[in-house]
Amino acid sequence: MYNEALLHLNLTRRSQFTRRNFLQAAALGVAGSPLLSQIQLNAAEMKKQGRACILLWLAGAPSQMETWDPKPGTPNGGETKKIQTQTPGIEIAHYWPKIASVMNDIAVVRSMTGKEAAHERGTYHLHTGHRMLGIEKFPHFGSVVARELGDPNSDIPNFVSIGQTLSSGFLGVQVAPFIIDRPGQLPDNVTSTASATRQRRRLALLSQQESDFAQAGAAALVKEQSKLYQKASLMMTSPRLKAFEFDGESEDVQTAYGKNQLGQGLLVARRLVEAGVPFVEVRSTGWDMHNSIFRNMERRAPDVDQGLSQLLTDLKQRGLLDKTLVLCMGEFGRTPKINARPPVPGRDHWVRNFNLLMAGAGIKGGQVIGKTDDNGQEITDNPVQVEDLFQSMCKAMGINADMELHTPIGRPVRLVDGGAVIKGLFG
Amino acid sequence: MQLLGYIRQTMPTRRIGSRISFSSDDLDKTLALELGETTSQAAPLIDDETFIRRASLDLTGNLPTPEKIKSFLADQNTNKRADYIDELLETQAYARKWARYWTSVIFYESEANKRRVNPQALEDWLAEQFHKGAPWDYITVMLISATPERNKKVKNDYGQDYGPNNFVLACENKSTELASETARIFMGISIQCAECHDHPFDNWKREQFHELAAFFHPYTYKMPSQDDPTVKTVVKPRFLLGEKPYENMKSDARRVSIAAYLAYNPKNYWFARAYVNRIWSELIGDGFYDVDSLGPDGDVVHKPVVNRIAANFRFKDFDPKWLFRLIMNSKVYQRQMRTMDSPSELFTAVRPSRLRPDVVANSVNHLTGEHPNLRKEIAQVFDMNPSLPQSALEGSIQQALLLMNQQELQQALSQSELKQKLQAISSDAELVQTLYLNILARHATPEEVERNVSYLKDSEKRDEAVEDLIWVLLNCTEFRTKR
Repeated sequence: MYNEALLHLNLTRRSQFTRRNFLQAAALGVAGSPLLSQIQLNAAEMKKQGRACILLWLAGAPSQMETWDPKPGTPNGGETKKIQTQTPGIEIAHYWPKIASVMNDIAVVRSMTGKEAAHERGTYHLHTGHRMLGIEKFPHFGSVVARELGDPNSDIPNFVSIGQTLSSGFLGVQVAPFIIDRPGQLPDNVTSTASATRQRRRLALLSQQESDFAQAGAAALVKEQSKLYQKASLMMTSPRLKAFEFDGESEDVQTAYGKNQLGQGLLVARRLVEAGVPFVEVRSTGWDMHNSIFRNMERRAPDVDQGLSQLLTDLKQRGLLDKTLVLCMGEFGRTPKINARPPVPGRDHWVRNFNLLMAGAGIKGGQVIGKTDDNGQEITDNPVQVEDLFQSMCKAMGINADMELHTPIGRPVRLVDGGAVIKGLFG
Repeated sequence: MQLLGYIRQTMPTRRIGSRISFSSDDLDKTLALELGETTSQAAPLIDDETFIRRASLDLTGNLPTPEKIKSFLADQNTNKRADYIDELLETQAYARKWARYWTSVIFYESEANKRRVNPQALEDWLAEQFHKGAPWDYITVMLISATPERNKKVKNDYGQDYGPNNFVLACENKSTELASETARIFMGISIQCAECHDHPFDNWKREQFHELAAFFHPYTYKMPSQDDPTVKTVVKPRFLLGEKPYENMKSDARRVSIAAYLAYNPKNYWFARAYVNRIWSELIGDGFYDVDSLGPDGDVVHKPVVNRIAANFRFKDFDPKWLFRLIMNSKVYQRQMRTMDSPSELFTAVRPSRLRPDVVANSVNHLTGEHPNLRKEIAQVFDMNPSLPQSALEGSIQQALLLMNQQELQQALSQSELKQKLQAISSDAELVQTLYLNILARHATPEEVERNVSYLKDSEKRDEAVEDLIWVLLNCTEFRTKR
């Protein structure tokens, strides 16, 4: 009755009562049993169904003054100008005309404040909600979402990343990110060279070989591998693999997202979310602009401007935005003071204040949270800590931020340690 | 290098190695004392077959051939395990495997521009050193004191084609990077956090970190203020144990003096211990502490044991081969594997360890012959950080998919010599034995023979069935694990 146990888990923890499970339940003769009253009990849980998150990560840390908090005409402003947006009163940097045209769906947080000014440590902090201090490896937020909202029997991974990212830490391989680097193509090696019957026989023989090795002292490794082989086998025959490709997407749609790695990555993200994947990260690189920042912005911004604005438009048209949290951020901000690096100046690392975008999943768009002073060096209103951000992300996803996680040595830790949901974010 | 000799003389390093001996038996006794009661729970010793695979993978990254396994089993010499270790230590494969390991340690997290470094040159130079039996202190000094010069006449020529320059180049010649990487790789301590704030767990102060960074700086080094990075104060170079260089020393001479302080100040027990702990971790599967992120000394488990090995490593003039012999001839290395969950069980058995990407590629090529593309793909998909403990590593779905379905691999297997050899064997039981010896480097158990023979009998096409049996062993956890 292994399936029943899983099913039970589904209903109580993940509310993924899909048709397939229902049929399984019927086949097992458990439909109409106490399970059905479980469904009624979990009405609140059921609301979570279909929630998803797309994280657009700007690796290297984009400058707040060249994105959503420009300061033209001040000593620190540099060559960046500001433009009006769709929302009266909200102005952003001139590199972002298309984002400006969908501002009504976006909440801009201008008063983020961090603690880690090195790339690796900042990336960890903004992906896990925890600072890199002890020996514990905290999970990527995507792994938490995969565990809480994903179907554990899913035939494709519950967390996909287009580009390298952090690991699932102590949550293990069950919810590790599945990393692809060529958006629009099937993942590598998903096609079996053997017939279905032959593959089944092979796997049966393999599982006997594995149990011998487990008994010989390698139980932990074997357990992990059998999970991975199970997932890999499910994936090979999954009809949902199509989500990785662009079959059925018109040429116009592909062009609208931008015919580049990032744009195509965001289109895959939308397709995966539609196919039921609860967390997708898409990485954009090259934001560490110590040199030539103004020229580099002209080069870097257009792909993100086009891809992200199209993603928001597309999600909205498909009725997915209400349940999909879209985040766009990097690991910290950049010095308001322009440096004096030869040959062309740029901006260095800065954690005291930076900014990011949030949209969807109940977040009130067309608003700005927090303020910085004219020089861009101080937060003058509503500072937002990383913990506050994670509290807000949890609320958007319907995940309890106070939940206890257990580290490998059994130490209980809070999913988010303190903080509070950002005031006014959800309207 | 003259300067180095001078510093060496001024250091009170007591060369008493010739009068001290520390054997593998001494190591086992020291550990038994340390483990106390727990020793009684230690795993039994391994048989010859397991030993020969383990030692061969550890030292050379290659599987022993079926012929070698058979002759080793038949050998009546009671000293054959020690002899085999000696034999492996003299191979080029040994030097190459460990050169790859250290190159990976140095380059794994490097952010240097790929056109300005040459990891292959470093690997080749290290391989030459390990093969010669060069002492670890010499290798370290060569790496840290390197002063690569840029040749502006040639595009992207930073001196990277000279192997030993590449540690400095991997750190992009940045003082702070050199300081934290030197501490991490050669002392096993993590002081990186101290770059921005005092280390939360131990006694490394921000100031100390920047004093070390100043050592690597060619001119006057300035430390940025914690609150406003644009405000800077001048910091004078000082090594971690307070050693100060002579004023007015040239910067390249200063680099040499760091290397010397690191290796020859007997108070710097971290240097010898960091190397010992890394090799121990690789061989046993767990370290006395995480190899490159030691905080306070209190985090070291069974400290007396590692300190004793490290002291003797110093007396033995930092000879890498001596250390391999010491550990691999001991009981602790020759115990059966076991999955250990609690720190109290450490070193009562060997942890089943994931093989490194280059070793997995070797094992696959052992079956298919050399396929450069396949080797590259395996290296990428099985990539792992060489400085993470085994217990922190994870497999991935992609690894499973590669071994199950990768087309070039499947084709190579179906045309492989091994497959032809197996198909030519008429006795099923003998076929299965040959299969196991070639892929898992051991004989099949009676149950395994029975299982595989009945699979053959139940299959319609024998050649497909033979392929299936190869496929199963290629995909089993044992194939990519050190047991």
